[in-house]
Amino acid sequence: MPKVVYVGSDGSNREVDANVGENVMNAAVRSGVPGIVGECGGQLSCATCHVWVADEYRDCVGGPGEMEADLLDLGVSDFTDASRLGCQITITDELDGLTVEPRPEAWH
Amino acid sequence: MLRPDINDLLTQTGPGTPMGDLFRRYWQPVLHTDELPEDGCPPVRVKLLSERLIAVRTPEGEYGLMDEFCAHRGISLFFGRVENEGIRCPYHGWKYNANGQAIDVPSELNNSEFCKNVKLRSYPLVKVGDILWAYLGDPEKQPPLPTWEFATVPERQTYTSKRLQECNWLQALEGGIDSSHVTWLHGGGPSGHGLEADPLFAGSKGNQYNKNDVKPFFEVVENEGGLLIGARRNAEDGNYYWRVTPWVLPNFTMVPPRGDHPVHGHFWVPIDDENCWAWSFDYHPTRDLTETEVDAMKAGAGVHSKNIPGTYLPVANKDNDYLIDREKQKAGILFSGVEGIAIQDSSLQESMGPVVDRTKERLVATDAGIIKARQKLRRAVEALRDNGTEPVGNVPEHQKIRSVAIVLPADRPFVEGIGDGFLAREGVGQTTV
Repeated sequence: MPKVVYVGSDGSNREVDANVGENVMNAAVRSGVPGIVGECGGQLSCATCHVWVADEYRDCVGGPGEMEADLLDLGVSDFTDASRLGCQITITDELDGLTVEPRPEAWH
Repeated sequence: MLRPDINDLLTQTGPGTPMGDLFRRYWQPVLHTDELPEDGCPPVRVKLLSERLIAVRTPEGEYGLMDEFCAHRGISLFFGRVENEGIRCPYHGWKYNANGQAIDVPSELNNSEFCKNVKLRSYPLVKVGDILWAYLGDPEKQPPLPTWEFATVPERQTYTSKRLQECNWLQALEGGIDSSHVTWLHGGGPSGHGLEADPLFAGSKGNQYNKNDVKPFFEVVENEGGLLIGARRNAEDGNYYWRVTPWVLPNFTMVPPRGDHPVHGHFWVPIDDENCWAWSFDYHPTRDLTETEVDAMKAGAGVHSKNIPGTYLPVANKDNDYLIDREKQKAGILFSGVEGIAIQDSSLQESMGPVVDRTKERLVATDAGIIKARQKLRRAVEALRDNGTEPVGNVPEHQKIRSVAIVLPADRPFVEGIGDGFLAREGVGQTTV
């Protein structure tokens, strides 16, 4: 099972065994990883699963789609080139070891 | 979802706010001509974009819009006397012309220079159609007068109403952009669709498509003046029934037509951050409105509300829970239980609170138009603030636009399929189903 690594704000890492085909938000929420909420259930309608993708995985993961970019732009205070919505990243064997940093907002 | 600072950016329109600066780049509908019905009539208080103003029509027929308060000690000029060429404050007799320039200060007759140095902030107020429009921006950058089709067709072809809506302008605009709510909120009746019961909507083939396909697919396309929001439903023979709503920055939308009925649309004009005027126009591009149609509009059918006589406050409002009828709601006669399309909208939009908290929403795919509109507004506001970029929508090319209803083959993109159908052209009929 591919692993996803969630980097905590205090630098600590949380490793999750993910299922192929699952998304980064779901893997986090079911494992109790803090900082990722997934309020809309992965419908590309909130922005509460914002993560920064670690540099070495950015090419593999790719950039946000148009609607995803709009939601990030309007909804998060730290939209960078590394930003993705976790629910839009599907986990595959190629992404084993994918490292992301959850970026919660103050009002979540 | 909008983070709080973006919500503030899009909803606040007072002086000095970025969105306030954007709104001040446009002529806005302010008063119905009925409110200043004759030369020398009493002045009217106007609150617009959080500015308190007074509107006058002098005995010479000149319109003026100026600060509400006398420059002397701050008395409201609503209590002023409209006299030749202006308005005189009843407290000490200071008199202003229609441009807010003091022209007589009785106690300072020995100082002829005194008047010249006293001028109230004032704005142009002009009549186009049956509306008085105001422009609150930099005089040097005044855009052309409004050229919307509903305001420039002959008088007998158009009707405009207004009502007070007790919520922020943006959540009202979002209702106009989101046409997926029509099937639900405006539904009801034995035929399963309340639209058939309204004399201003009945009889269009489109109503059947609305009823049969309750899951429209939305496609949002950018155009020069704003967005074209296309709602696509199944028609017969593998065709699609498209209803396309144009949104022109910042606050204009037009509802797609049904049959040969007059076509309507709205402006939502901020009074302050917690209240707005919902302006509703109804017009036909190529014929007079019939007496039956106008009577229906005056009675609160279609997009118009029944107002308390002598006011612009709807009879059904938040103090009486919009006269909601739970029996009719249960029986499905009115899906919402609230009567009238206008009040169905107002009731829900006001219920969101004076300024809805957009950190709490859960949007879905049919909200694509709303998301894109927020993005476009935000970009326009920031471009004006940061680069002085003039926003779109305040020129004739963007205002001479129509909504469209049309059946197209499934593989035809709607913008291409409609073509010139979007243009407001004199003497040319609507593109409708």
